[in-house]
Amino acid sequence: MEAGPRTGALSLNTQTEKRTGAGTGQTTLVARGLKKSYADFEAVKGVDFEVHRGECFGFLGPNGAGKTTTMKMIYAAAVPTSGELEVAGLDVRSAEREVKRRIGVVPQENNLDEDLKVKENLLVYGRYFDLPRKLVRQRAEELLEFVQLSDKAGAKVEQLSGGMKRRLLIARALINDPDLVVLDEPTTGLDPQARHLVWDKLRQLTGEGKTLILTTHYMDEAAQLCDRLCIMENGRIIAEDAPRALISEHVSPEVLEFRAAPEALEKLPSIVEDVADDVDRIGEALLVYTSDSEAVTRKVRESGVEVRNTLHRQASLEDVFLKLTGRRLVD
Amino acid sequence: MGGVRLPSPRGAFRVWQRNATIFRKYWKTILLPNLFEPLLYLVALGLGLGAFIREGGINGLTYTQYIAPGLLASNAMFAASFESTFNTFIRLKIGRIYDAIVSTPVNAEDVVAGEYLWAGTRAALYGTAFLGVLTALGLVSEAPLISSPWALLIPPVLLVVGIMFSVMGTLFTSLISSIDFYAYYFTLVVTPLFLFSGIFFPIEDFPSPVPEIAWFTPLYHAVNVCRALATGPSLGVLVDIAWILVFTAALSLLPIRFMRKRLIS
Repeated sequence: MEAGPRTGALSLNTQTEKRTGAGTGQTTLVARGLKKSYADFEAVKGVDFEVHRGECFGFLGPNGAGKTTTMKMIYAAAVPTSGELEVAGLDVRSAEREVKRRIGVVPQENNLDEDLKVKENLLVYGRYFDLPRKLVRQRAEELLEFVQLSDKAGAKVEQLSGGMKRRLLIARALINDPDLVVLDEPTTGLDPQARHLVWDKLRQLTGEGKTLILTTHYMDEAAQLCDRLCIMENGRIIAEDAPRALISEHVSPEVLEFRAAPEALEKLPSIVEDVADDVDRIGEALLVYTSDSEAVTRKVRESGVEVRNTLHRQASLEDVFLKLTGRRLVD
Repeated sequence: MGGVRLPSPRGAFRVWQRNATIFRKYWKTILLPNLFEPLLYLVALGLGLGAFIREGGINGLTYTQYIAPGLLASNAMFAASFESTFNTFIRLKIGRIYDAIVSTPVNAEDVVAGEYLWAGTRAALYGTAFLGVLTALGLVSEAPLISSPWALLIPPVLLVVGIMFSVMGTLFTSLISSIDFYAYYFTLVVTPLFLFSGIFFPIEDFPSPVPEIAWFTPLYHAVNVCRALATGPSLGVLVDIAWILVFTAALSLLPIRFMRKRLIS
């Protein structure tokens, strides 16, 4: 039991070196055949992924896809049932403390210490990493500045808004100056303004060379922030690439959404057949994927079928998800 | 995965330190009720009931002298029990404080060990304050409540007694899903211990098997040690101390194991 993972870690080290030598960017996290089962269900059914130093890697998927469980395995809050998981060449199981020393965690649910004031949250958290007091004080100041909470330093946590709490969680995750920051749904439940502020901060972090791993069920968030992402569903990774590449790989560049009476919608697929790459019926709408939207619109207009409303847009990750799973991301 | 992980002293200290930081803010406001509770017993029973206890008292002690050291022990039990039940449960389930801590280099086993130490510290702090009050009361009354210099060893003993009750309370906490279950713990464990551990009457004088049963309960030994240190100990105290140490050590790893299961899936 003890010897196994250690040998694994050694072999990974040599691989990492090779990769660096090849100039493809250093790998900071590797998962192979990673599984997590609970008594009554299998949350993660064998996933493989690699995260490179300095990139933002996303897990996109609906609730219950296994994203949070995967994150928890990375920061050792869940023990993998089988498979390999290595952070900076360290096996997460055998080098639990060392791994946790190097990562920052922004959990899905706020778990700030409400018995402590805003700045104290950072100071006390810094102590868990055995950091020198002076260093923690200095970082706490800088981080409060970074997340724009300097004027709230002495406030009670319960007085903060949802967005401020999330920013404080981000600051807390950075107190140990981690190589890798794991963020589980960093903007869920925030209003649009607060979301944009969080996105700004996360972009700044990748700009500084930090590696970010985040989960989200918002496709715009994934598209905005992630260099690469994987789509997770039902405990499995079903696609993985850069956001743009995923879109061009799986769907046509343009989408036309037609809204009409059900009878009218039924006629449309055969009308656009020649010029559409694909069609999908979602409730009251028919989605037509194409590279020639003009031709599609012309055909529909010429057919005389009564369409209430037409939306022309670029294909998004939502469409990729729909294509791959037959479901929408957020219901 | 198998086996129990031993806590790291450094990690445990960080958890202790977190609690101490918060305690430092509130100690003045919470110390008073903790002094009042044992004082009420001392006054109501020591002076009230004590007035009916005939000349000679119990084992040559006045009734107040008899119950005062026992109240030191039970005070430590209450302090550590509240800390390891309600307070720990709130940190575990409501504040999710431990979830945040275990994503740092501090592990679940360190959290539990840190909480043991903290509950012990709190028991010792309250106990020391109460010991001070007892000593002062003894100076103004005709018979001193604390008559032996060995009493200086009471605070460290209360630290250990606090850790013992913290282990018991944490064990219960690690098994329950709702805060309401503590009614059982306090009614079926803490209160009977308080009443039948020789604080208010000598349990040894009861017919068998009462003294034998008492011997197997934790507070009984804590009361013995405190009374002996307050009045001048005999070697028999070493047996009580050994009992406390063995019981605490034997039980201490169980809550660590259960709490880890609750924090790490």
